Amino acid sequence: MKIDVKKLKEIVGEDNVRDNIADLYVYSSDASVHSSKPDAIVRPGNVKEVQELLRYANKNKIPVIPRGAGSGMSGQTVPLSGGIILDMKRMDKIIEIRPEDVICKVEPGVINDELNMQLKPYGFFFPPTPASGKICTIGGMIGNNASGIRSVKYGATRDAVIGMKVVLANGDFVTLGSNTKVDSSGYQLAKLMVGSEGTLGIVVEATLLISPLPKFRAMGVANFATLEDAGKMISNVIAAGITPSMLELMDKVAITAVNNAQNLGLPDVDAIAVFECNGMVKEAVEYDMKRIKEICKRNNGTGIRVSDDPDEMTRIYEGRKKLFPSLSKYSEGLFTTALADDMAVPMSKIADTVHEIHEIAKRNNVVMSAYGHCGAGLIHTKILMDTNKKSQWQGAKRAVKEVYEYVQKVGGTTSGEHGIGFSKGPSFKQEKKDSLEMMRAIKKALDPNNILNPHKLMDSPDDWLTATHLRYQVKP
Amino acid sequence: MKIEKKELIFGVVYLATKNKHLKKHEKEMNMCIRCAYCFEECPVIKETQWDTDGARGKIIMSYGLLAGELEPSQYIADKLFRCTFCRDCLDKCPSKVGILEIISSARADLVEAGYASDTHKHVINNIKNTGNIYGDTEVISQEREGKTPLFIGCQYLGRPNKTKKYIKILEKLGINPVIENEICCGYPMEVLGFREDFEKHKENFQKSFPYKDAITLCPTCTVFLREGYDIDAKHVLQVILEKLPKADLGTKVTYHDPCDFSRGLKIIDEPRKILEKLGVEIVEMKNSKENSRCCGGGGGILMTDQDLSGNIARKRIEEAIETGVDILVTSCPTCEQVLKKAAQEISETEGKSISVRNIEDIIWQGLKKGAEDS
Repeated sequence: MKIDVKKLKEIVGEDNVRDNIADLYVYSSDASVHSSKPDAIVRPGNVKEVQELLRYANKNKIPVIPRGAGSGMSGQTVPLSGGIILDMKRMDKIIEIRPEDVICKVEPGVINDELNMQLKPYGFFFPPTPASGKICTIGGMIGNNASGIRSVKYGATRDAVIGMKVVLANGDFVTLGSNTKVDSSGYQLAKLMVGSEGTLGIVVEATLLISPLPKFRAMGVANFATLEDAGKMISNVIAAGITPSMLELMDKVAITAVNNAQNLGLPDVDAIAVFECNGMVKEAVEYDMKRIKEICKRNNGTGIRVSDDPDEMTRIYEGRKKLFPSLSKYSEGLFTTALADDMAVPMSKIADTVHEIHEIAKRNNVVMSAYGHCGAGLIHTKILMDTNKKSQWQGAKRAVKEVYEYVQKVGGTTSGEHGIGFSKGPSFKQEKKDSLEMMRAIKKALDPNNILNPHKLMDSPDDWLTATHLRYQVKP
Repeated sequence: MKIEKKELIFGVVYLATKNKHLKKHEKEMNMCIRCAYCFEECPVIKETQWDTDGARGKIIMSYGLLAGELEPSQYIADKLFRCTFCRDCLDKCPSKVGILEIISSARADLVEAGYASDTHKHVINNIKNTGNIYGDTEVISQEREGKTPLFIGCQYLGRPNKTKKYIKILEKLGINPVIENEICCGYPMEVLGFREDFEKHKENFQKSFPYKDAITLCPTCTVFLREGYDIDAKHVLQVILEKLPKADLGTKVTYHDPCDFSRGLKIIDEPRKILEKLGVEIVEMKNSKENSRCCGGGGGILMTDQDLSGNIARKRIEEAIETGVDILVTSCPTCEQVLKKAAQEISETEGKSISVRNIEDIIWQGLKKGAEDS
């Protein structure tokens, strides 16, 4: 079906539609390895426009792919079979902030850190803290169920979304969830939308739980000669009943990359743990930090440093947040690819998993880093390789498969927070094989013409490497 | 259709040299992991909200041109020339990709493929024909014998009263500048993609300005003399700070950091210390120093996209007005020009006003006041 660009312009206005090849090319990729061009990019400015667009697309069976900042790592916003990219950045209003109800209502194009800036004068913040918070949108966070550095204490986006307004595939408008933290009636459809990667509806407004800004905060760093010691420290902290607001691990590859890119002068060790505690009572924060320090020592941690100096904390925090993109600086000629980029495993399996990731990398002649919000069992990896060599892509393909086979063997899950897209489709389908038909039935009920972000999640292609054109010159 | 021999030769030469500037950045472009962190404060994408207008979009288009997945077009050229070169993306990019070098190279390839704008061509021809961006043979530096080489630069050559003021300030502080019959440093040729012209121009420039160190007036020329010619260029404010006596002007201002100062040369403290020495209190804007926002005047967009440039400038003026002071001081003639225009527009449309002044006015005022007081 050829898209009627004139019709799209009638709906959203001339200035909000693009179909030039250059725009299509730019919007054909995100932060994943994938690339596939849409037929048009449309920027709706209000609910009515979203409804009209979906009515048109549904009638003509045209795929519609919602997109925020396009910073997803698995190809969630890459349109496999063309269609319309719905760039939601224009819908960026903070509708209301209700501190007395501990909620706020926002449009999907609001940027995470912008929301936090607006919440700050009220003494509140939106807890999910993705590393990309300065540019990612609330809509994108909902689509992927993003969580981030503070998930160990505050959970993921799904925990903070209590209600939403959604435009369905046929253009119908529905209100889901409620304005209350507890809501026991019926199916939790607002929660269902979270993590659905835009396959079930277009979120046009979200009601979010907000949290009071903690008055006190302290941050610490500890070095470990072995991954095993670092892994034990992390699970010991959680098992001791401490709830840090951040408990991160960085492996040797990640440490080298951050040093190369950001000149942080981190020590040459196998692992570094970064931890943070926050709260309303200074003594409570200090007490928890003291206990974490003791646990670090018990697990052979060295160079343990704790600080409540804002500059020092910002330096550590920003260094950690820029870890993923910094990986490109690990070694000359090796480039970062967002493959096997996230997973979650039971806490006790973190060290074993990171160790296994390194073994898999060696076997397949690629470099893999491991880091992440390990206090929540979440591990991120990236594959560093010469993206111009076909053999490296084959190695990467084997490595991705082996990593997720191991994760499933130890009882883990394919994605902790980055979503499935194409890159993790095969392992997701393997892991969730018993519930795929249930997911398909839900999808069919809400989107019978399969227009909303098709070919994702349970319907993702079996081979991610050949699913789309890769955004590199090499053709594997 | 019969192909003329001339066209055929052009075609063969074009194919052989296609993307010759971008070719050297292939690895650099692979380093861009497309995280979009460069969106954060990019003044152009903040204005248009189209991914294509951000640094990532420009890198993707450049990659597409190099990979042969995109063909050069006027549309792509327009997009790649929509950048103020404010350097914010360089600060925000955690992979430290040389974004501006890639954009410059893409521009150079597009210019060589025939996609230069008429306005840009006109400016470059002016430099070639008259040695300055104005195309005016009357705009020349007044040669002056002295001790310390002073490079004035086109922006100040076109503003002779400002230049005279700076020379008077230097003289008063005991510095005796030598001024040559200088020509443009060639920065517009480099930033607008006229690299072949720049290579030819370089030699002429070095003949007209045969020094290894110099005092400079314009922030952009300072960067370019250092990077393009390896000249030890010291901005005039750095020199003034060392010798400036104290004064008590007793005013309150806000200060706009030019991008080539804040993120380029890291000249952040010097203008502030100068103002403090003169008894001027600074009320900082929400985004200042390293995080200063662009005025919208750089990278060539002032010549080709005045609406965009004006929108960016108005945002900056609004930020300045939020400080509650009446005077905005800056230290770049281009910033002064675009911010003045934006301030006037805001004054006319919204009734909110702020006066925009360049720092040399304040320094001169301080020197006069200092002399009177003593």
